[in-house]
Amino acid sequence: MKGYFKDMYEAGRSLSIGLALTARHLFQKTVTMQYPDEKWDLPPMAKGQLHNVVEDCIGCDQCAKVCPVDCITIETIKAPADMDLGKTSTGNPKRLVLLRFDIDMAKCCYCALCTVPCPTECLVMTNSYENSVYDRKDLIYHYAEFSPTQSKRMKVEVEGKLAAEAEAKKKALEAKKAAAAAAPASAAPAPAPKPADGETKE
Amino acid sequence: MAAWFGSKDKKASSVLEIERRRFWMEGDDMIVDMSTPFVDHVEEGEDMVINMGPQHPSTHGVLRLELVCDGEIVKKCTPHIGYLHRCFEKHAENLPYPEVIPFCDRMDYMASMNQDLAYCVAVEKLLKPKLPERVEYIRVICCELNRIASHLVALGTFGQDSGAVTPFLWCFRDREKILDLFEWLSGARMLYNYIWIGGVARDLPDGWTEKCTKFLDYFEPKLENLDQLLSFNKIFIERTATVGVVNAEDAIALGLTGPNLRATGMKWDLRRDDRYSIYDRFDFDIPVGSGQHGPLGSCWERYYVRVLECHESIKIIRQAIAGLPQGDVMEAVPKRVKLPKGETYVRTESPKGELGFYIVSDGGHGGEPYRCKGRSPCFSQVSAMDHLCRGVFVADVIMILGSLDVVLGEIDR
Repeated sequence: MKGYFKDMYEAGRSLSIGLALTARHLFQKTVTMQYPDEKWDLPPMAKGQLHNVVEDCIGCDQCAKVCPVDCITIETIKAPADMDLGKTSTGNPKRLVLLRFDIDMAKCCYCALCTVPCPTECLVMTNSYENSVYDRKDLIYHYAEFSPTQSKRMKVEVEGKLAAEAEAKKKALEAKKAAAAAAPASAAPAPAPKPADGETKE
Repeated sequence: MAAWFGSKDKKASSVLEIERRRFWMEGDDMIVDMSTPFVDHVEEGEDMVINMGPQHPSTHGVLRLELVCDGEIVKKCTPHIGYLHRCFEKHAENLPYPEVIPFCDRMDYMASMNQDLAYCVAVEKLLKPKLPERVEYIRVICCELNRIASHLVALGTFGQDSGAVTPFLWCFRDREKILDLFEWLSGARMLYNYIWIGGVARDLPDGWTEKCTKFLDYFEPKLENLDQLLSFNKIFIERTATVGVVNAEDAIALGLTGPNLRATGMKWDLRRDDRYSIYDRFDFDIPVGSGQHGPLGSCWERYYVRVLECHESIKIIRQAIAGLPQGDVMEAVPKRVKLPKGETYVRTESPKGELGFYIVSDGGHGGEPYRCKGRSPCFSQVSAMDHLCRGVFVADVIMILGSLDVVLGEIDR
């Protein structure tokens, strides 16, 4: 019987301690944030949406290689000699035509491993985090300057140019060889390979 | 029946015959769930099979508990796992060592830093880089902060399982502050990818340690509040102090580790006993169950050991911040991790218990582990459910599960 009343006393006592504590909390500053209306400040290093500054991208494929979930797809083709792609803001010359640079944000695991090896620091994690979309396809972000059809056309064009270039190179090489073969016979080796050399350099 | 299974072996068919009789009882008055042929109980009278989960809010993830009940009393409890299986170990075999770390984050998402530390310590045991002092201190600070965060979730949800909602909200409020600190540090709130092989991803930002100390000053009284509100509440004690009791011998036999083992009175902490990282430099106690409100190894003891561990973690963080040396944190991070041939097993004290990584390296191709096995503490804990749940009420199963503090991401990997 004594234990019964002791238990009741104990329960009442511990409950009142807790209730007093919660009552004190009523007069404290609220900690709840009314989310869509007010937002908290994200730190500068926050890992949000992955973004590629495509003007600076040299298409080196290092980010795609290091991605653990393979969410970056890069397709490049070597730029032909007459195409000047310019330089990045860090001064690296661009040597590859970036036909496709897709980031599938549905796959991305926000580990930021891809931003580490980027030589021009063009792949960054921005602090935008409200990126939900209605269609899953919209989560694939295209960063290349060309649309898929344009890039297809571009690929054909560049491939043609490269083939022509390769042929010219081959021809030049053959001419050089022929000249080299002819040289001992004619005994005038110096002037013959010069025009051929110039061609390959272009 | 044998023909149905395609077996021509006479012996095998007789075994199947026994099995068949076991599950398809003679007579049509028995209802047996054929979708769960793992149950090896013999049905008697009014036994009923209840599936708790996988969508039950108290199962802390996607865990299905199959309870065989006689009225309100549980006769057998069979946990079914695998709903969150993401092939961590197989993925790891196809990825270079540094790229496995984001997957380690996702094992126990309540304490990602501790998972990363365990993996990195295991890899570093083979790689043997010369770690800068600063890295070790930062790692300890992060892991202990994350231990507090993980314990806060465990305490809060355990309180909520027993019907106390306020402590849950208060715990999450304080955990939010830890996540803010981590967000500032690594950029992410839960899956940090911060501890790297041979270092950490980036140095502490300016003013981080001051903010961390400020948080600890704020947090210590909040733990006292939690004690007043929940830990020593008579109703809560009555509800939990005699439920789910396991003694030390059984706990060891069942493979319980971490706070669950310490609640039985065993003073076993890998931070002290294995001395990985630099834990030997810090002065801290190992809280064990005290038996002040009932038998050792009960749900309440498991709960209270976690509260006490938060105090110890605060102590460690304060010491680590005080002794934080200067240095370059990226100094020992290798550009390309290539391990020599060999194998290693490292066990660490994660908030849930003994977390181990077994890594086999064949020393070659592409720098990928040949095998990467994780030893999950929660797997042993959820395996102990049957032992703990026999003969208790259905409502107590939830308390026992909550007090064991399992996280399904780590069990299924």
